[in-house]
Amino acid sequence: MESSSATTSSDSNEQGPAWASWVGVVAIVLGVYLTASHGNEWMKWAVMTASTPASDQVPAAECPPDELAEEGLSLAECEQMVANVRNLVLSAPDWFAGFQTILAAAGTIFAFASIIAGAALVNYRTWAPAAAILTFGALAAIDVIGFLGTVNAGPMLRGLYLQNFLLWFFIHLMMTVGVIASRQARGVSTASHP
Amino acid sequence: MQKQGYSSSAVIMHWLLAVSIIFLFISSWWMLALPLPSDALTYREFPFQLHKNLGLTLVVLLALLLYVRFRHRPAPETTESMRPWMRALAIVDHVILYGLVFAVCISGYLSSAYSGWDTEFWWLVEIPNWGYEENEELNMFYSDVHLWTCWALLGVVAVHISGALYHAFRNDGVVRRMLRL
Repeated sequence: MESSSATTSSDSNEQGPAWASWVGVVAIVLGVYLTASHGNEWMKWAVMTASTPASDQVPAAECPPDELAEEGLSLAECEQMVANVRNLVLSAPDWFAGFQTILAAAGTIFAFASIIAGAALVNYRTWAPAAAILTFGALAAIDVIGFLGTVNAGPMLRGLYLQNFLLWFFIHLMMTVGVIASRQARGVSTASHP
Repeated sequence: MQKQGYSSSAVIMHWLLAVSIIFLFISSWWMLALPLPSDALTYREFPFQLHKNLGLTLVVLLALLLYVRFRHRPAPETTESMRPWMRALAIVDHVILYGLVFAVCISGYLSSAYSGWDTEFWWLVEIPNWGYEENEELNMFYSDVHLWTCWALLGVVAVHISGALYHAFRNDGVVRRMLRL
């Protein structure tokens, strides 16, 4: 009879179970992307706020032919770039830039924390599952807050943001629940087979 | 006896590089859709300066990472976790990755230098344009090099991530070498 403690390399090794390695590395890849993405969102609204005149009147486009050639743009595209900024400014309620900046700043911090939590999961530190649940849960909460805020922001911003918030919410929900379930299953397994 | 993983400083620099590179990709797609600059339209000012600052910092960071990696070489992976062809692919991927990061950053700087726009390193030190005059042809040439090396870098990053995921899903301990806490 084979030893009950025999395991394959894909199940676990001395440093931790396979699920922790999988979830950990997925958390790291997504965490790197999300840190950059939230960081960009943070910058986007800071730039919009700082560069738009107090009157909210975005100046007219200036499209010199040499600049158009350098950027590979048509005159219509150049004018549309200004129109896009104007649309964003017009469609955002007064509170939205501050709301989105704070949310993106929190998102950047928690996304970076999820990289650390992911690394801890791969190394299977004792505190890793709890840290991962906390971090992924916080990111899911940020997605929900962002979703609810954007629902109240008008149709143009809803069209721009809602599907992203929803996608990330489901990803973070899966990761949170996945770690909770895996931790409980491991606890049950350990209790059944001391 | 050699350590199993990379040094803590190499790990920190690796992940700072990773976040910065992805940030530069995402932010560049957004900032290039901002209005062309004029006296009244200044939307591009901060993002472009930040882009150049991060790019130049990456050159320094990557040089430091390479120094640290060659100074503190970890023990090689076991033959069970890394077959010879995988090891060869990993080496080629890393060499191309490092080469492309340098090429992307340096071509970006040269394009900017020939465009006539100033570069203030983290808004503190004005980086000289090395005596170059504004030259539209060279600006376009280095801009094209920057663009195509960027796309190549994205492809190589995808291969790099695929390798990391492969080893993580096998749970063979290879990715732990770059995840020491």
